[in-house]
Amino acid sequence: MPPPPRRRPQELEEEEEEEDTQQIPDHVDEDGDEPMEDADADAGGEMNTMIKNLVRYALACEFSRTPIRRDAIRDKVLGPRGRSFKKVFAGAQKQLRATFGMEMVELPTKDRNLLTTEQKRKAAKSQSQKEPTSNAYILVSVLPEAYTTPNIIPPSKVQSADGEAAYIGLYTIIIAIITLSGGELSEPRLRRYLTRLNAAENMPSMNPHDATAPSEKTDAVLQRMVKQGYLVKVTESRSAGDDEGTTWHVGPRGKIEVDKEAIANVVRAVYGGSSGELEKKLETSLKIKGRSRGGEGAVEEEEVEEAPPDGDPGPSHHRRHGRR
Amino acid sequence: MADDWEPPLPPGYNDAHRAFLQAFMARGTLTFREGRKLLAAIASASNAGRDGDSDGEGEGEGHGHGHGPVNPDSITMADFESWVRTVREAVEPLDFDVRNTRDQVRGERVWAFVNAHSDPVTQLGTARTPDEVAYVKRLLDAMFDQHNTPRMEVMAVDEGQALRASRPRGRESQAGGDADAGEEGTQAPAAARPLKHSEVLALLASLVAEGWLRKSQDGFYDLTPRALMELWPWLVETYNDPEPADGDWQRIKFCEACKEIVTHGQRCDNLDCTVRLHDICDEAFWRTRSARTCPKCGTPWEGNHFVGERAVTTRAGFQRGRGARRRTEAAQNDEEPVDEEEEEGA
Ligand SMILES: [Zn+2]
Ligand SMILES: [Zn+2]
Repeated sequence: MPPPPRRRPQELEEEEEEEDTQQIPDHVDEDGDEPMEDADADAGGEMNTMIKNLVRYALACEFSRTPIRRDAIRDKVLGPRGRSFKKVFAGAQKQLRATFGMEMVELPTKDRNLLTTEQKRKAAKSQSQKEPTSNAYILVSVLPEAYTTPNIIPPSKVQSADGEAAYIGLYTIIIAIITLSGGELSEPRLRRYLTRLNAAENMPSMNPHDATAPSEKTDAVLQRMVKQGYLVKVTESRSAGDDEGTTWHVGPRGKIEVDKEAIANVVRAVYGGSSGELEKKLETSLKIKGRSRGGEGAVEEEEVEEAPPDGDPGPSHHRRHGRR
Repeated sequence: MADDWEPPLPPGYNDAHRAFLQAFMARGTLTFREGRKLLAAIASASNAGRDGDSDGEGEGEGHGHGHGPVNPDSITMADFESWVRTVREAVEPLDFDVRNTRDQVRGERVWAFVNAHSDPVTQLGTARTPDEVAYVKRLLDAMFDQHNTPRMEVMAVDEGQALRASRPRGRESQAGGDADAGEEGTQAPAAARPLKHSEVLALLASLVAEGWLRKSQDGFYDLTPRALMELWPWLVETYNDPEPADGDWQRIKFCEACKEIVTHGQRCDNLDCTVRLHDICDEAFWRTRSARTCPKCGTPWEGNHFVGERAVTTRAGFQRGRGARRRTEAAQNDEEPVDEEEEEGA
């Protein structure tokens, strides 16, 4: 039984993420594997145990929507044999796909244009030529689409199925609005949309059957969406000479779980069905997704170098789901 | 470990089984009624897939149904059990298990996807804060220790009693204390923070919603079949004497008929006797016996001594005082405010 994962303060994780990426060169894993291990029969059993523990850890993380972090895997699963990361990870992927029809997908790195100007300056200094990785993963289903309908796989019971469904609905709508607004939404505009959704002050809680707390403060729910990686909130400091202040973006988990099709479905639902004209508009809107960002002069040049053309990592073969 | 290692899988294991497993895990439990609906939906999806492209995948047991939507009524218990067996075989190497038991109140059989070696910490550790996990341990102590005595085997708590567990007691580490002591070197656990009453109520509600606790009409919380399936080995280890003398009273007891745990049932009229029987096992059990007397001590079995909340609710005092009791309890709770001295933690 793996020890129950300990919690780390959220802020720490956020800070460390960028640093870790740079400090752990990937090739350590290959170089570090001692060839003797494989000959040893005991090592096989140990490897199986580590694979099992990683699979269990991944499932537990997904249950609480915590990203599966590479450094946490080293801590909790690999222990002193941290060097066999690649083999254990590959084995766990095989096991997850074969047994559960799921796999771990790496979360996209934080968009460079989501960093504050200050962070960008720092990053520009320290960043090398290497592609940054997030070293954090989530579980997604790899089953054929026919099997992932709600009558087969319902929202999970993390808090309650109804609360879960309401929560999924809310972040899906917010992500759709952000995406259709070009990947970025100012704080006042988000608030206006929330008012229209009748969610300016409160949202349904994760457990609407809880008589003592059927609803929750909107800010608390938004905070959870940020913490779980559905949204990213960027607050630009005044000194940057930018009056815009706070903006909202789609977070790494949001990009993977809420794909273009899910966004299109929200729009269709809002407009009461599909029509030729609507589909055309959708096609245009979702294609220009992320292209209309920028407008920050000097920073924009960096983006051209570093970010992929449309900033959208969304692996199209991963349907949103992951929720178990 | 060779690169060509393949995880062991049951023969014929395919995407339909994986869908069944994902669905099972998302729900936590399945009854046969739910299971046949689910299997019909999966079989329909498999058929749709086959109609679309004929690469022959997805021909599992129980759904050689050809084309189009499948009627849930066509799924037999044997089909369902065979699917359960298959996914159980698939997850067993990973220390997961599928267990089943009858709901002690409703009698319906329930299947649950569980951790094979579970305690409250592994079960709740990732989704709950350490303070919440500590509270749940205190709640279990209240159910299986404080409110489970030889005279009164309630094994359930009302809301007032649940709230009284909000504060760590001096004997916090008594239950499951061995495990805690073992880890002392690495993480000397800081004394758990008391939960606010509002936090306790929210936690209780979400444990009910998640299917771990059940709340009765009379306002008692007890463990659901799912929680019992997952935790009964831990409960026995934590609350029972490992080497009881013959006839010793033990906190966790099992049904004379079906041998499963009893938290809601009947007890021998002789309060010193340890024989217990589920209500749902009662009829079949007595049908096979010549006399309605306790199989161990011979006392006539009246069936009016209870395990579970009825140990309280069938008492004359409770019947008379229903209204008054609730008022008093509410008043008591107000007297015990925990909220003030709390710092706003994470
Ligand atoms: Zn029984
Ligand atoms: Zn007896």
